[in-house]
Amino acid sequence: MPAFCYHRPATVEEAVGLLAEYGSDAKVLAGGQSLVPLLALRLSHPEHLVDIGRIDGLAAVDDGPAGFTVGAAVRHADVELSPVTGRAAPLVAAAMPHIGHRAIRNRGTVCGSLAHADPAAELPAVALAADAEMVVRSASGERTIPAADFFLGYLTSALDETELLTAVRFPSWPRSTGGSVAEVSRRHGDYALVGLAAVVGVGDGGRVERAALSFFGAGATPVRVTEAEQVLVGEHPDPAAFAEAADVVTKSIEPPGDNHATAAYRAHVAGVLTRRCLAEAAGRATGGGA
Amino acid sequence: MTADRHPLSMTVNGNRIDLVVESRRTLAEILREDLGLTGTHLACEHGVCGACTVALDGKAVRSCLMLALQADGGAIETVESLCDDDGALGPLQQAMADSHSFQCAFCAPGFLMTAHCLLAEDRDIGPTRDEIREELSGNLCRCTGYQSIVDGVERAVTALVEARNA
Amino acid sequence: MRESLMGKYVGARVNRVEDKRLLAGAGRYIDDVSVPDMLHAAFLRSPYPHAEIGSIDLTAAQALPGVHLILTGEDLKSRTYPFFGTLNFPRFYQPTFWALAVDRVRHVGDPVAIVVADSRRLAEDACELIEVDYEPLPGIATVEQALDADRAVVWPKSKTNLHYQASERFGDVDAAFAAAERVIVETFDQHRHSNQPMEARGIVAEVDPSSGEMTIHASTQSAHMVKWCIALLTGRRPLRRVVRQMISQRDHTKAIFKGMADYLKATPAMVAALKEMAPVMLKQNVTNVERTKAMNGAFVGLMGRDPKTLPAALAGDVGGAFGAKTAVHREDVAVCAAALELGRSVKWIEDRNEHLTVGSQAREESVDLAVAVRHDGTILGMRARLTIDSGAYPGFPYGGAVIAARLARTMFPGPYRLPALEFHSRIITSNKATYLPYRGPWEIETFVRERMLDVVARQLGLSRAEIRRRNLIGDDELPATMVTGPALDVRMSARRVFEKAMDVTGADDWEKTRAEAFAAGRRIGMGFATYIEAAPGPPGYMDNVGPGFSAMVDREPINAVLEADGTVTLHTQQVTHGQSHETTLAQLAADQLGVPMEVIRISYGNTRTAPFGLVGTAGSRAATFASGAVLLATKGLRDRIVDLAADLLEAAPSDIVVEDGRIHVAGTPSIAVTLADVAHAAREKGDEARGAARGDEAIRVSELFDGGAGGWSGATHVCFVEIDLDTGLVKIPRYVVVEDCGEIINPAVVDGQIRGGVAQGIGAVLYEKSTYDDQGQFQAGTFMDYLIPTAMEIPDIEIHHVETPSDVFANYRGVGEGGAIGAPAALCNAIEDALSDLGVRITEQHLPPARILELAGVIPTLSPSR
Repeated sequence: MPAFCYHRPATVEEAVGLLAEYGSDAKVLAGGQSLVPLLALRLSHPEHLVDIGRIDGLAAVDDGPAGFTVGAAVRHADVELSPVTGRAAPLVAAAMPHIGHRAIRNRGTVCGSLAHADPAAELPAVALAADAEMVVRSASGERTIPAADFFLGYLTSALDETELLTAVRFPSWPRSTGGSVAEVSRRHGDYALVGLAAVVGVGDGGRVERAALSFFGAGATPVRVTEAEQVLVGEHPDPAAFAEAADVVTKSIEPPGDNHATAAYRAHVAGVLTRRCLAEAAGRATGGGA
Repeated sequence: MTADRHPLSMTVNGNRIDLVVESRRTLAEILREDLGLTGTHLACEHGVCGACTVALDGKAVRSCLMLALQADGGAIETVESLCDDDGALGPLQQAMADSHSFQCAFCAPGFLMTAHCLLAEDRDIGPTRDEIREELSGNLCRCTGYQSIVDGVERAVTALVEARNA
Repeated sequence: MRESLMGKYVGARVNRVEDKRLLAGAGRYIDDVSVPDMLHAAFLRSPYPHAEIGSIDLTAAQALPGVHLILTGEDLKSRTYPFFGTLNFPRFYQPTFWALAVDRVRHVGDPVAIVVADSRRLAEDACELIEVDYEPLPGIATVEQALDADRAVVWPKSKTNLHYQASERFGDVDAAFAAAERVIVETFDQHRHSNQPMEARGIVAEVDPSSGEMTIHASTQSAHMVKWCIALLTGRRPLRRVVRQMISQRDHTKAIFKGMADYLKATPAMVAALKEMAPVMLKQNVTNVERTKAMNGAFVGLMGRDPKTLPAALAGDVGGAFGAKTAVHREDVAVCAAALELGRSVKWIEDRNEHLTVGSQAREESVDLAVAVRHDGTILGMRARLTIDSGAYPGFPYGGAVIAARLARTMFPGPYRLPALEFHSRIITSNKATYLPYRGPWEIETFVRERMLDVVARQLGLSRAEIRRRNLIGDDELPATMVTGPALDVRMSARRVFEKAMDVTGADDWEKTRAEAFAAGRRIGMGFATYIEAAPGPPGYMDNVGPGFSAMVDREPINAVLEADGTVTLHTQQVTHGQSHETTLAQLAADQLGVPMEVIRISYGNTRTAPFGLVGTAGSRAATFASGAVLLATKGLRDRIVDLAADLLEAAPSDIVVEDGRIHVAGTPSIAVTLADVAHAAREKGDEARGAARGDEAIRVSELFDGGAGGWSGATHVCFVEIDLDTGLVKIPRYVVVEDCGEIINPAVVDGQIRGGVAQGIGAVLYEKSTYDDQGQFQAGTFMDYLIPTAMEIPDIEIHHVETPSDVFANYRGVGEGGAIGAPAALCNAIEDALSDLGVRITEQHLPPARILELAGVIPTLSPSR
């Protein structure tokens, strides 16, 4: 890999200070599972790497009134194996088994995956479906960015080059709400050809009150298909409604084609996953659990 | 530009190691080139094949996807640590040998370390054959079609469970 | 003659000798080789499929501290000989080229410069500082583009991108088609994919700074091949110095000619072949002058070389190959040239991106096929046209494509009665990486034939088993001769193997099973493929590939040595790279000698000690040739041991028994001598007892094995699939192989070879493709793009053995390649079966999920056809 200067700040202040100093010449290193391959293939040439892996305050998972907060140094495996995750952030829990392989989850971080903004990755779509908030720090202070405003393009987020994503906060999981994550990939553990993180909230009348359909591998960013979500709201969560939503998804989504699958394939499978995920999510919503 | 170098301290197979390393070097490179632990293999260097898998603080990690400096302060185990003190194959290695698990065996160290971490997990019952397959799916082998490798890990699991229950 | 090996090792599931080393992490693969004062090389490679090279500016790279040497193609002209074609076939053009690109790059990854530096990372830093001015040319990325007269030619001297053509007719083809009740026509495509051993290529050119002598450490399938190819292409000197050296070593020069004359005298088949080939060779020499000059220059250079300066080659542990390491590559020559230039050792380890881009690509073939049949399914004849895209640069010492074409044509009838065959071959050149042999390089014959049998069966309304039964050659028809030439002996068991496969899988009841599943909404399918494999094939089989080939390669040497300490060493030119030779050859030797396996050591991969042979380990030759050589050599060694022991024990040799390494007179096991005693006695006794022993050795026996009676291995694969038509994902719930490889030396090794081959065949169909776009840009340079199946994708594979009893000596036949030969056809046939109600006909081999849904009509067809 190309040469760079390595920095290991002990505090967030120090880290954002380095980012302020080096700007676009610096890259943040968390778990490294996305960045190091790019370096190894010499596809990225940063002059400075800022390793945030040792910053104390960033390694915590917190399940408080504000929601489920995952610090920037928290690894996938920590979240996957935490007994809290399934209850506090069931959509995150559902996504975990799909992410790479064990050895990748042992090193990769949740926030790293979000900041990398790979549109084929699970967690950006999960964050979008779950209305997560990104907690962002820079030398000039802290701000939060809703997931809906965070993913701007292929491998591009709303983070300024001087900003550090310090945590992601998932709002408290509402009652009578179910989530489901499914994907189709070429091989087990691969990035998805197309995948879906779905949320269904069912009201007291047994009708859908809230629906989120957030696709990955379906565009330059994770994609919410609001037309299909609206089809569901007010309906009974039954196969007919799911099929109608699936039709809307297949017709309105505009996924890319590449060597692994055509756009038509992805659009078709997006519809298939819509039916499957909605059924599972609705089952969880009405079954009382996640 | 002069090489950016930093101190690195870690334990490798129980031995304390202190080095000063260039920041761009991976853990795998340091193990192989500086420590002579060539049992850890590099086969893709972009984190897909798993040949370079080692244990960091007991967890399987890809040593090609870690800067060596990220392992600072950590405890590393490599395939060389699986042998008995007299250099004979340890129980996991022997179970794999008994199952004819490998052919060219270039991938073997990665599989062995993945399996080693799996077996070390504190669980009441051993993983099933399907679970073993899933856990091993982050390691590529081009020779065997995997069946013999799954057999080997299953054999090791059975021996371990029997020993625990004995 | 049947050497009855009733010992305890042969046939048993003996644990592998190599695992004590390899599972301990103590193997010595090429990247583990470290020699003093070693430098590291990296290559600057072309980002373009096809371009003229304008200028190359090395200034900044050369100025980087730690950089020792940068060579470009122009620099190699005075330091190396160019690569040239070594084969002779009519209508065959073989380009001449250098280890590094000169004037023009011809594929993505074409090496343009070699940088040697203190470390690999510094060498790569320097590569980024080299500025090359390219003038892009249109690329040739498909057969259609290659044959389009308006497009560029890859090799201007040939005037065309069509580099080989052959047309042959076997039997009365016109009569067969005239008598046909149906003629069924189809074209089948196979996509470019790749061997991808887990260890890529690599070389350490170790140069002794005082003497300048070079030892080449290589990850290779044949150490002697590496030695002689490097010797041939490196160390270039001006012709006058070559001639002066030839004169100064007149005796050596004479000895070379005498050696060649002696070889020809001893090999009348070779003389006959040379006579047959003479007009072809002459024509090539006249029409391709560039090649003639290159070839003559290199061979004269080799003869005019002080033999003391010849390199040695060493292969240690090899991390897989599957055919990719049968060649000496351009990078190898560049690395050796750089090391010789510097007088220092240089290491180059190919990384995965390089290996995917340039290191091993194969299999890009298509066949247009017409089959003449009767309504009852009897096949009367076939017309086939094979087209291979061989990429830009042929392999060295020979191009894999023409060998694959010759083998595919020879094997096209398979184990079926085929009275008439017309076979055309075409090889085109393109702006893609070198086509190399990949496990069962002629596999296209099985894919196409077994695919076509299913197509024909459906067209005629027959079951797929029925059409095979109608045409498979049965025991009662043996011996027989394939229409293409090779003899089928009485052990050719394809029919019995097929029937057993049908029994084991209940395949005859399949239609009912499938109908029930379809009714229940489950889309299942079953497919099978039957093939035979010439491993080793009948005597003289390789002459079907080229005249004189059998005489050249069917001579496998083994030196068996009783060492002074009573251990036994077998020296072989085989280079194990996963096949477990250290175990299987030791099993044979231990049983033959009557000693524990621990006594035997297999020495391989070292040109200083291994007997000469250029083939190394390829084509299942360890099981089929080295096995017999081991038996012969250890039989000779045993005779000598018994004679000496008889003297020591004062008994007749016929009364001597060797058991567990102890030698005694029958009936009195308590009075025994050991191998060490015999070794001592041999050394006391002197030359007569010691054979060709050298140095500390006690006895040495050398033998050659020519393959003996030879024979066929073969199998029927039965693959079951279940397809999800929502997603196009294919699951393989069951996969069965029924095979016959003669007597089995080690069942675990045999099963492992079969399973590994099947996994590669499954990979080819569902996952793996070396993708190029239609400009020739390569698009599968990482393991995220080129998908090797994992433990989750490959099912357990059920194996059943059929062994045909025989008295044939060394009745061990090959299984190295068969798994990969049968699997693509069986899997594609199963997938078509699962889609049969939709009228789907599968004519391509690569079937990722999107393609499955296209074929099934679920989504519109947009995928490229190949």
